[in-house]
Amino acid sequence: MEKLKVIIDGRECEAIKDQCVLDVARENGIPIPALCYNPEVKTSGGSCRVCLVEAHQGGWMRLVTSCNYPVRKGLEIKTNTDLVHKIRRGVLELLRARVPDSDVIKKLALEEGITEPRFKKDEGEDNRYKCIACALCAQVCEEVVGVSAISMQNRGADKQPGTPYHKPSNVCIGCGACVYVCPTNAISMKETGDIRRIWSRDFKMAKCSMCSKPYIPEAQIDWIVKTTGKARAFFDKCPDHR
Amino acid sequence: MIEVKKVDAIINRYEKSEESLLAILQDFQREFHYVPEEGMQRLSEVMNVSESKIYAMGTFYKTLSLTPRGKHTIKVCTGTACHLKGANQILETLERGLKIRRNSTTKDLNFTLECVNCVGACAMAPVTVVDEDYYGQTRASKVMDVLKKYK
Amino acid sequence: MGAIASIEQLGKYREQIKANVKEDLPTVLICFGTGCQANGARNVAEAFTKIIKDQGLNLDVNIGLKTTGCHGYCENGPLVALRPQGILYLKVKPDDVSEIVEKTIKAGEVVDRLIYKDKQTEKTIAKYREIPFYKHQQRIALRNIGNIDPTNIDDYILQGGYAGLAKVLKMEPDAIISEVEKSGLRGRGGGGFPTGVKWRSCKAVPSDTRYVICNGDEGDPGAFMDRSIMEGDPHAVIEGMIIGAIAVGAHQGYIYVRDEYPLAVKNLAIAIKSAREKGFLGKNILGSSFAFDIKISRGGGAFVCGESSALMRSVEGKVGEPRAKYIRSVEKGLYDEPTVLNNVETWANVPEIIVKGADWYASLGTKGSKGTKVFSLVGKVNNTGLVEVPMGISIRKLVEEIGGGVLSGKRFKAVQTGGPSGGCIPERLSDLPIDFDSLTDAGSMMGSGGIIVMDEETCMVDVAKYFIGFLVGESCGKCTPCRDGLRRMLDVLIEITEGRGKETDVAVLEELCDVLTWGALCGLGTSAANPVLSTIKYFREEYDAHINDKQCPAGVCKALITYSIDAEACTGCTLCAKKCPQKCITGERKKTHVIDTEQCIKCGVCKDVCNFNAVRVA
Repeated sequence: MEKLKVIIDGRECEAIKDQCVLDVARENGIPIPALCYNPEVKTSGGSCRVCLVEAHQGGWMRLVTSCNYPVRKGLEIKTNTDLVHKIRRGVLELLRARVPDSDVIKKLALEEGITEPRFKKDEGEDNRYKCIACALCAQVCEEVVGVSAISMQNRGADKQPGTPYHKPSNVCIGCGACVYVCPTNAISMKETGDIRRIWSRDFKMAKCSMCSKPYIPEAQIDWIVKTTGKARAFFDKCPDHR
Repeated sequence: MIEVKKVDAIINRYEKSEESLLAILQDFQREFHYVPEEGMQRLSEVMNVSESKIYAMGTFYKTLSLTPRGKHTIKVCTGTACHLKGANQILETLERGLKIRRNSTTKDLNFTLECVNCVGACAMAPVTVVDEDYYGQTRASKVMDVLKKYK
Repeated sequence: MGAIASIEQLGKYREQIKANVKEDLPTVLICFGTGCQANGARNVAEAFTKIIKDQGLNLDVNIGLKTTGCHGYCENGPLVALRPQGILYLKVKPDDVSEIVEKTIKAGEVVDRLIYKDKQTEKTIAKYREIPFYKHQQRIALRNIGNIDPTNIDDYILQGGYAGLAKVLKMEPDAIISEVEKSGLRGRGGGGFPTGVKWRSCKAVPSDTRYVICNGDEGDPGAFMDRSIMEGDPHAVIEGMIIGAIAVGAHQGYIYVRDEYPLAVKNLAIAIKSAREKGFLGKNILGSSFAFDIKISRGGGAFVCGESSALMRSVEGKVGEPRAKYIRSVEKGLYDEPTVLNNVETWANVPEIIVKGADWYASLGTKGSKGTKVFSLVGKVNNTGLVEVPMGISIRKLVEEIGGGVLSGKRFKAVQTGGPSGGCIPERLSDLPIDFDSLTDAGSMMGSGGIIVMDEETCMVDVAKYFIGFLVGESCGKCTPCRDGLRRMLDVLIEITEGRGKETDVAVLEELCDVLTWGALCGLGTSAANPVLSTIKYFREEYDAHINDKQCPAGVCKALITYSIDAEACTGCTLCAKKCPQKCITGERKKTHVIDTEQCIKCGVCKDVCNFNAVRVA
């Protein structure tokens, strides 16, 4: 693990080669806003463009997404310049108009001085209208969960995650990892009694033998048992009572 | 009903590799005039690739359609040279004449009207393609006549 | 015969083919490019075949007959060229064929009505090389097209094909790369990156596996040079790729072809098969120990797949989204292995550079842009088609001398270069030399070589709207600036062209352009601002007219124009009234007709059918 130093906002920061600028900045108490990046999901990042910062290297400068820009020797980063704010403001205004109800985006936009976007707001009922098409849900489903039940469909402004034909997927295990990673809470997951409904499919949940709370879909247990060989009995108790 | 035999025959034309996915989907499109769900499911089984990924390809690539296209496809080229030479007029004339909007199919499923981004015949702009037939220097006033022979 | 097993054998094989070709054999070469086929070239070819049979002529003894690739002069097709005189016949019909056989093939005479006639001077020219369209060209990438049957590998070999391959088999890989570097060849697909430098970077990355890819996606609307090369001289691309593979050490190549080019796919497949049979592809190329083969990968209708990282995902069998991570494809490209991706035209130049030498290539063109470039000259110009000229020619010369000037004598207003990633260059700057750097400095870019000529009836705001509309449909949707920024720009442009423009609109467009240029993930987004910014820069008065005066000076934007009939020119022929879809034109026979502007939908059909130029648009 090659260690090196990068300068961020004039401050010398310790880093490991190929670590991303965003992680190094955060480790050093320099905040950079970001939406589509999750350090647990290797394929994530680069989509929302909120985390853009100035990268100065070898005489040139460009804006780069700090969530996936690797630190190298001789790199200097500036996170607070007029240009960075100008472009970040532009990106957030676009996101405000795309997902007007998102509190996360409202807050970030306000920090850049945007209350209302100048563009006509997108409005509608299905999850496309809460979604910033960052693909974290599809990425976590493929990379971490391993079932690839959902994918990013269409292209352009209509890009949105879903199961094929938006029909219930028989490879989905109802784990809710996609809901958990979504930066704008765009995916609906509802629980009624011991049924969890997600992506148009009803999943029967297993109950904890100690507290009787339904806590995990049977399908998820099946998947974990199948892929890891873990004993089924392990899931008799919920995490609180294990 | 989509015949599994036909689907398998198409899949078997190609190497069993993910590299063949798009070509197979294109061949489904040519054979069935759209990419059927059964085709994608079978492809997913045979290639061991998730159905959601194949479905994503079906929605991403514009030469593929998930709903049946007409027996004849009319492609109005809307490349730059064609645009300057009146492609829009041709498109509107066809929309009026066929009573459908672009990217849709007539009720009798005879014609699908589409825009295509450039067929590379720019020197003959504006170009209209019906099935495999290319018509250069199309004129809005004559384009509906061209369609007469496609029943 | 089977595979050619050595370089010496190739030389002997070539001599053999030469010996079998009758010198001065009267030969008919029929263009079978997509354009001429659209105009009926097949029927012309059938007519020739029939006559040869009926008259008992012996093929290859009395007469030669070949179908060739695209000559580039598509509007004037079907094109038929005749050897040995070098005559070119335009707009040939099946009915003309017997006269061509009698007069030209048998008697060596010219059929006057079929040759080129200058639209202004009325001067006729029979010889292909003297026609202004071809006279100023220097065909390197297009060297064989129109001369050979692209489906016959022997034709290619006879022209010197695969001599480049034979030469590099005796060279060190580093020497091959140095030669390409010395030539100054820069990527012909739009990026203009120095080809030799790219190859060297790829070779320097340690790996057991690497790839060479040909980008045949040609997504720029208005560009068809790659189509012409893939259809008309596929072996030039294949040979170039084999040379590149030997230089960098790749054993597998891919040619990614746009799905909208079925003939290119077909001819490439035939060429690859014959190249394998002859031992130019496969194991032990020409008896050496080098192995390399090529697969064809078909595109699916996505402009973004012309972007190199998106293209590689598409080849891998995925959705064609560009890669967000900051990794260069020469280091980690296809399947994360070092990959060289070059455009069709770039590859087609490579064999000539090897055979004729880097110094020769570098003697052409300008200081920063060596060699020649194939341009597709289209739009409002008299001679539309493909031309290959040395870099450095001025825009004006291209449009006026080679292109024969603007159509119908209208005023030359601007050219658009570089497709949707490029910009407009106004007529007043048309003495600029066409090369990578001068076009970029002017706010546009070379791109793949599309040159769209625009006249006084082209609305520059409409042009900006057209390109942004195109990009909106092609955006992959992954990043915010492109996915959401472009459609907001389109909304503003639509408002402007529909008469609802606001004072703040240009500023909003410029802001969105900044977000795209600085913030987008890939080249599609980062260059999307060019068509808008260049039209604002050079044609601001048109934007102002639309926004402030609610007028479209060029007479294009429907909401801002009115159709009317000029009483002086109208003859009362009633044709427009008959064709009007709204039935809103009234008038008696032989009396001036009138358009009811309330009902008029400005479809333009009346203007299109009027034989007296009586319909006015203002």
